[in-house]
Amino acid sequence: MTDPQLPQACILPEGESPTPVLPRGLRRVPRGVDELATEHLIVNMGPQHPSTHGVLHILLELDGEEIIAAEASLGYLHRGIEKLAEHRRYNAVGTLLDRADYVSGIHTELAFAQATEQLMGIEVPPKALWLRSMFSEIVRITSHLVAIGTYGLDIGAMAPFLYIMRDREALLKVLESVTGARMMFNYVRPGGVLADLTPEAEPLLRQFLKTFPGYLDEYHTLLTGNEIFQARVKGIGVIDRATAIAFGMSGPPLRASGLGWDVRKERPYAAYDQLRFDVPVGADGDCWDRYFVRMEEMRISAELIEQCLDGMPEGEVSAKVPKVLKPPAGEAYSAVESPRGEVGIHVVSDGTDTPYRMHLKGPSLMNLAVVDEVMPGHKIADSVAIIGSLDIVLGEIDR
Amino acid sequence: MALDRFLGENSVIFTTTEALFDKARANSLWYLSYGIACCAFEGLMSAGGPKYDYDRFGIFHRGSPRQADVMIVAGTVNKKMAHALRKLYDQMPEPKWVIAMGACACTGGPFREYPNVVLGVDNVVPVDVYVPGCPPRPESMQYGFMQLQDKIRNRRKEMAREQRSA
Amino acid sequence: MSSAVLSTALTAAGISAEVSDEAFGVLARVAACDIAGALMALRDGDGAFALLVDLFATDTGDELEVTYHLRSFARDEDAYVRLVVQYDAEVPSVWRVYPAALYPEREAAELFGLTFPGHPNPKRLLTTDEVELPLLRKSTPIRTNEEVHDR
Repeated sequence: MTDPQLPQACILPEGESPTPVLPRGLRRVPRGVDELATEHLIVNMGPQHPSTHGVLHILLELDGEEIIAAEASLGYLHRGIEKLAEHRRYNAVGTLLDRADYVSGIHTELAFAQATEQLMGIEVPPKALWLRSMFSEIVRITSHLVAIGTYGLDIGAMAPFLYIMRDREALLKVLESVTGARMMFNYVRPGGVLADLTPEAEPLLRQFLKTFPGYLDEYHTLLTGNEIFQARVKGIGVIDRATAIAFGMSGPPLRASGLGWDVRKERPYAAYDQLRFDVPVGADGDCWDRYFVRMEEMRISAELIEQCLDGMPEGEVSAKVPKVLKPPAGEAYSAVESPRGEVGIHVVSDGTDTPYRMHLKGPSLMNLAVVDEVMPGHKIADSVAIIGSLDIVLGEIDR
Repeated sequence: MALDRFLGENSVIFTTTEALFDKARANSLWYLSYGIACCAFEGLMSAGGPKYDYDRFGIFHRGSPRQADVMIVAGTVNKKMAHALRKLYDQMPEPKWVIAMGACACTGGPFREYPNVVLGVDNVVPVDVYVPGCPPRPESMQYGFMQLQDKIRNRRKEMAREQRSA
Repeated sequence: MSSAVLSTALTAAGISAEVSDEAFGVLARVAACDIAGALMALRDGDGAFALLVDLFATDTGDELEVTYHLRSFARDEDAYVRLVVQYDAEVPSVWRVYPAALYPEREAAELFGLTFPGHPNPKRLLTTDEVELPLLRKSTPIRTNEEVHDR
């Protein structure tokens, strides 16, 4: 007889006994780890995560290292810009819109100013149009610099970030001297712009334009030529043209997928019909192409700034507009090309001094929606590369 | 030792360990990189950049709340974010401090009228330093950090004074 | 020219629509039940409106308008499709026609109190359960000065 306290075999063949007799002190059969069975794991990435560019919260369903499904959970920055605009006068809405896309506030301002001008039929003086174009391009460079620098940071390259902050400060100095603010400019107003170039702004800009090609070469050395960076982004997150169109993408991600749609070319606004520029287009639609399109756009933007400085007409910087704007009842849509894509403002007016309804079409929301489609099949480390390459700003996604 | 430069060679100072630790804490404020909105650029990214370089003051960013001493609330906190904010604050080890950066974190800012926005982050976590501005310049943020350093250095003195008066 | 394209494409699909030239673009007004068919006809018809630029709702005071902003790269034109529904009504989801509508539909559903039957993931997108909805309707007030000051 064996000791009933110590059974001969604690691992019984299946089906023999529903409750196997266990040695005292054990609660379950020590089967070890079955290394073949994997459980799907839900990982919350964000809302506080250094690589999600703000307060993005992505739910990732993982099978080991591989992403099975991804879903963006938004709303951590939902602060009612569309609702509050219905309670602000037309002149004050720009303050809210600056903070919608806070990396490139001037573009959202510009879209709203253009929509208001369409409603009221205001003729904007040519100098204001040229200043609008010029400052759009300055802000485009600062925004792309941030996109590239933080992208390097996401991938693991620390140094480019320090270089871009140096160069961004040079442009912020120009912006500050003209608009009075480093980030929230409120510079473009319905009817024109706030102020002319200050005397110190032009030499600063000329100096920047002289040094910027050298700076760009530095970034190319640091990132483009970096083998680790190439291995992390080439062939990752491929968005083909059909997917990009189906998800309504715009801006550099759309152009990287091979469709050269640029609002500046197709629906010229401000002074873009008088400027000469190319639109860089990618071929494969992977992270590398999206990165490279941005690098090229910075070079082109610098050329555009130079063209604006050289060709700046003389005259007023703003049309004569009443202090309180009361557009007639109607609707207007105006789009501009922001660094992230097409920013559109749809304004509905009922004849009072506040918009009846203002809708901001943010490009980031559409560009972000594609992660559900693109991420599955990639490794978890690639999710950071994909999000960074889309260059989203949560302010305009959540509004 | 560096103390000799200020107090003469082989000098002795009498202090409590907590006061000594506070002096050390004030000079290595590691902040949680938790940028919510626009202010993150001025407060967190410029902080790491070469022009403002808060690293000079021992102020450096950390990705995890478990390694951080200071939380900079840089942006509008809404009701959905308030839960995450509180969770992050609870994960930070004691002693910990909070800087409310910008108009939104102080009072709700330009978005205060929207029902989804929390009227000031002090409704969610205790705040030590308020930095006004929309957004504050990086210099304002530096000044805010210097105020916080003063507060930490004089923490024991303040507590002792409160005990005496009570 | 574009309005003719719109009306022929819609009538070919057997959908009654009222097409007009507005100041901001060409607008087709359709019934809520026809929206998926209408967008399908516009995407695959002569118009070739391949891209959904945007989708948003408006509270007119009596009812809700849902506007679909379409773009055709082939014709280099924009068009708008609009439908009018009662409050708390149902609008068929168009995500099978344009996947781009997935997120904007959730947003409109949440902020205006609409329902989009057929949406694969009709969760709340922007707010938590403690927030009273719908926030963007005209009947929802914003905070008053007193509420803000007595924070």
